[in-house]
Amino acid sequence: MNRRGFLQLISATAAAALTASCNRINSVAGTSPGPARLVRFPEKTEMILLTDRPPQLETPLHYFRQDLTPNEAFFVRWHLEGIPTSVDLRTFRLNVSGHVRQPLQLSVDELRSQFEPNSIVAVNQCSGNSRSFFEPRVPGGQWKHGAVGNAKWTGVSVKSILDRAQVKSGAVDVAFNGLDAPPLSSVADFVKALSIDHARDGEVMIAYAMNDQALPMVNGFPLRLVVPGWYGTYWVKALSDITVLPRAFSNFWTDKAYRIPKAANGTESPKDLAKDTVPINRFNVRSIFVRPGPDETVHSGIANEIEGVAFDSGHGIRRVEVSTDGGATWADARLDAEIGKYSWRRWRASWTPSSRGQYRLMARATNAIGETQSKQQWNRSGFMWNVIQETDVSVE
Amino acid sequence: MGAKNKSPILALGLAALIAGCGRLSNVAKEPDHDITNARTEAMPDSKPDNPVHAIMMPHDEPMFPPGPGRQEFVTECVVCHSPRYVTMQPRFSRATWLGEVNKMKNVYGAHVSEEQVQKITDYLVSINGQLDTGQAPKGTYGE
Repeated sequence: MNRRGFLQLISATAAAALTASCNRINSVAGTSPGPARLVRFPEKTEMILLTDRPPQLETPLHYFRQDLTPNEAFFVRWHLEGIPTSVDLRTFRLNVSGHVRQPLQLSVDELRSQFEPNSIVAVNQCSGNSRSFFEPRVPGGQWKHGAVGNAKWTGVSVKSILDRAQVKSGAVDVAFNGLDAPPLSSVADFVKALSIDHARDGEVMIAYAMNDQALPMVNGFPLRLVVPGWYGTYWVKALSDITVLPRAFSNFWTDKAYRIPKAANGTESPKDLAKDTVPINRFNVRSIFVRPGPDETVHSGIANEIEGVAFDSGHGIRRVEVSTDGGATWADARLDAEIGKYSWRRWRASWTPSSRGQYRLMARATNAIGETQSKQQWNRSGFMWNVIQETDVSVE
Repeated sequence: MGAKNKSPILALGLAALIAGCGRLSNVAKEPDHDITNARTEAMPDSKPDNPVHAIMMPHDEPMFPPGPGRQEFVTECVVCHSPRYVTMQPRFSRATWLGEVNKMKNVYGAHVSEEQVQKITDYLVSINGQLDTGQAPKGTYGE
């Protein structure tokens, strides 16, 4: 930024702040909020604001009418206040250390030039996506269905990096840390781990590009771990340190947080909380209505296009059924061609309501091994929502 | 940035940033204060010839009404996170809010005394708690 640009910025800020700021903060705690608050963060388009510090931004659903979610609209979720806001590629290094014979310090240029690049289209979804639909409600990021996105990730496999680092025998886990930092020394740094076999499966990768562009800072510039089919908590942003461990990894974010009941589909009862829990892991099967959107008018007597997306952890979506009568009858939706096993699959159906009135639409996805969506589901953390979605539509 | 304190406009800008009511608020639906575009244009670019990639984070924090415990909330909680962590939640029971405050103290190490835990809980219940019926007014908050 040059001096003139900075002064323009500051003067614009000052003018706006002085003339209007005291009465333009329109959300006062304790009052009912209006519609979703849209904000624009650096390198991002208008997104639904959950929190500003650290940022949690949700993607407006209409972006899911595209196969790939644009970088500027891709959801954002950080845990710790100290998020990176500046990265100097001359000094940034990805450090690989621990239980290896050859520790590495790699620049982004070296990652690009010295390793075989590969690309994968994969869904990234927050563990708490759709949390606000659980009843009874649970504390946490109150996401609707937009803490998810589908992107083409390009980078290098973690396997190729670990191979160069020459992992010693007896390795158990691999820990991944990013540039974000806790606000207090008592808060655990956000570090996640995968088993050595998972990390070396050739699919887990370090992405330096997202949809063929550099990642936005708030999506993890310059490097982000990509763990296809697994929840976003493992997709460490601004990845800076890989540590191979000869023992099981242990920290707050794995031992206490991001755990699900061991029972099927991570479900438990509010009256009888599960005692056995496991770290959250693979996506379950789900679909999301994308159209009709909340503001769209549906007309009787003509064909209306219904559409959505469906995905799972990599087995592949084989069927999506749609009901327009509250679940009494179901019809198969048309599936778009598969993009890749970890991509979502878009689906469409044509609906011609015969008369005006209220209708309840439902969508239910099934994957290649017969797994389908839940009728009922609850857990204390609000994770892994995959209840068959219902959307009420008024036909005119 | 070599412009430090040399310009009255700059000083004014910084003063506005520091003042509480001058919080940056880049609400996209208010085109008359197009701070967003100004900031975007002023951002360092990420072209290959500029190896430093940097952004400026906006703040968009709600105001909090007066009430018992407000001072404790503002000083102890907002240190680590935006008050939107509270305003985005649905109305919760006192037990749930107490659990959240205790989580901040015991799990994340917030520097609060037991007395402050109670005061902060009082405040959260007063601004975003359930009504006496024990029922959250459905769909009115955090939806």
